Amino acid sequence: MPYRQAIAAAALTAALCLATSGAPAFDDAKYPDLRGQWIRVAPPGQPAFDPGKPRGWGQQAPLTPEYKAVFEANLADLAAGGEGLWPGYDCRPPGMPAMMTAYEPVEIIVLPEVTYILIDHIHDSHRRIYTDGRAWPEDVEPAYVGYSLGQWRDEDGDGRYDVLEIETRHIKGPRAYDATGLPLHWDNKTVVKERLYLDKANPNLLRNEITVIDNALTRPWVVTKSYRRNASPRPEWQEYVCAESNNHVRIGKESYFLSADGYLMPAKKDQPPPDLRYFNRPKK
Amino acid sequence: MRSLIGAIALAGMMLTASDARAFDETKYPDWSGQWRRPPGVGNQWDTSSPPRKAQAPLTAEYRAIYEANLADQAAGGQGTDPTYICIPDGMPRAMNVIFPMEIIIQPHVTHMLIEYLSMVRRIFTDGRDWPENTEPSFMGYSIGKWIDTGGRGRFDVLEVETRNLKGPRSFDASGLPLHVDNQTIVKERIYLDNADPNILRDEVTTIDNALTRPWTVIKNYHRVRKPVWVEAICAEGNQHVRIGKENYMLSADGYLMPAKKGQAPPDLRYFEQARK
Repeated sequence: MPYRQAIAAAALTAALCLATSGAPAFDDAKYPDLRGQWIRVAPPGQPAFDPGKPRGWGQQAPLTPEYKAVFEANLADLAAGGEGLWPGYDCRPPGMPAMMTAYEPVEIIVLPEVTYILIDHIHDSHRRIYTDGRAWPEDVEPAYVGYSLGQWRDEDGDGRYDVLEIETRHIKGPRAYDATGLPLHWDNKTVVKERLYLDKANPNLLRNEITVIDNALTRPWVVTKSYRRNASPRPEWQEYVCAESNNHVRIGKESYFLSADGYLMPAKKDQPPPDLRYFNRPKK
Repeated sequence: MRSLIGAIALAGMMLTASDARAFDETKYPDWSGQWRRPPGVGNQWDTSSPPRKAQAPLTAEYRAIYEANLADQAAGGQGTDPTYICIPDGMPRAMNVIFPMEIIIQPHVTHMLIEYLSMVRRIFTDGRDWPENTEPSFMGYSIGKWIDTGGRGRFDVLEVETRNLKGPRSFDASGLPLHVDNQTIVKERIYLDNADPNILRDEVTTIDNALTRPWTVIKNYHRVRKPVWVEAICAEGNQHVRIGKENYMLSADGYLMPAKKGQAPPDLRYFEQARK
């Protein structure tokens, strides 16, 4: 009888072993729990790239003299009613690194080979951060989100990853850091390095240490952003469609407004109307 | 007896150790990679018919709307295709997969990422009911259920129902319309082809008040195992300009131009006022 019990015990154990370890299951207990909806932690109002400092010159971005002048001209244009250097006014994506300001909530999906960062804002939804050990590809079409390689780190040696290090290259422009038009270099050689990790004291707080290396800067610029996890187990994801109600119209190099009653109107004082030469051709 | 108790205890420990958040992906079909429209297949909703020749079961009212739309498009207008200003295709049109799609399966949700306009579908498979107050959206709210049709201990079909849609939407670029009441319900059965696991099928049934009966079409997608993802930003090179209810075009040299023959220029009354 004890022999039969032993066989039964061995069979049960073996069956459970096979059931639990035989499959190529993804053991996400090795990874930090980044599930849920992440919302930016920043002062109210239009967010700045560095959430810890005032907008505009208050950001103290280490711009080169050339790009200080570019920023100055941009601010003058904004003051006159123009759009400056921020590409978002006509619904072009902010791209990296501005998109990590999280203008809308963020979802993060961690899989062994790739981590996805989805942001429901304009067209910046899909960041793919490849963690499969690949090298930089030789031919990459530049994109506003860039091309990102990542590496998981177990910094405290507890057998579980706690930091995702990311490097992003091949970014397309034009881009700015935030809606003040704080510029990145037009050569689009930007490299963005990130360290993404949960706060040790509060697992519902996500930190992102962002280092921007760009030829418009005199040195790498480091900014830390934070995101808090929505406490709702079933957060609502709202669609944000910029083009749906955008009242900015770009014609050539000029930006105009649409009035509430559907007419084109100037965005700046004394702005001339658009050239309608293609409407005014004499009839043959 | 003690060995049996010991085995049960050991089994319990193993369950505890592996419980947690481990995701047994062998229970789910492998839909990884990039899914594209089959070679030579266009963007029309019903790919079994040529573009603009779909046998859609439209009501008489919506048949007339479609005819008027085709006439407007023939004259250079956009008809009832609303996407020229870069709003999302929405459902069910998103499943035309104009640009490639990725599917990420997790136990509680399946994400569909469609590169065109970075459209995201979240299909909740956690057993939830329809929420009471949800903002309508172009992609709608989707609840799914995994089915093991073969009884093999592995899911093979994802059944999806999508409601709470927003408009305006059309089935495709021909302007084939959905009802303006936005009461559309979309039901889908998604599965791999039995003979070829690199072909994904989506049986899409649209229930809409512009239709006389539910309309079912089958969409097919081909898998690319090592994909390259290319960003598709509509607003970047969009040559359409909407002013009021009129659509104009931008010329290559940056001037506003008519989209239709004989189209009047935009009313510039606010510029005239500004000059006074």
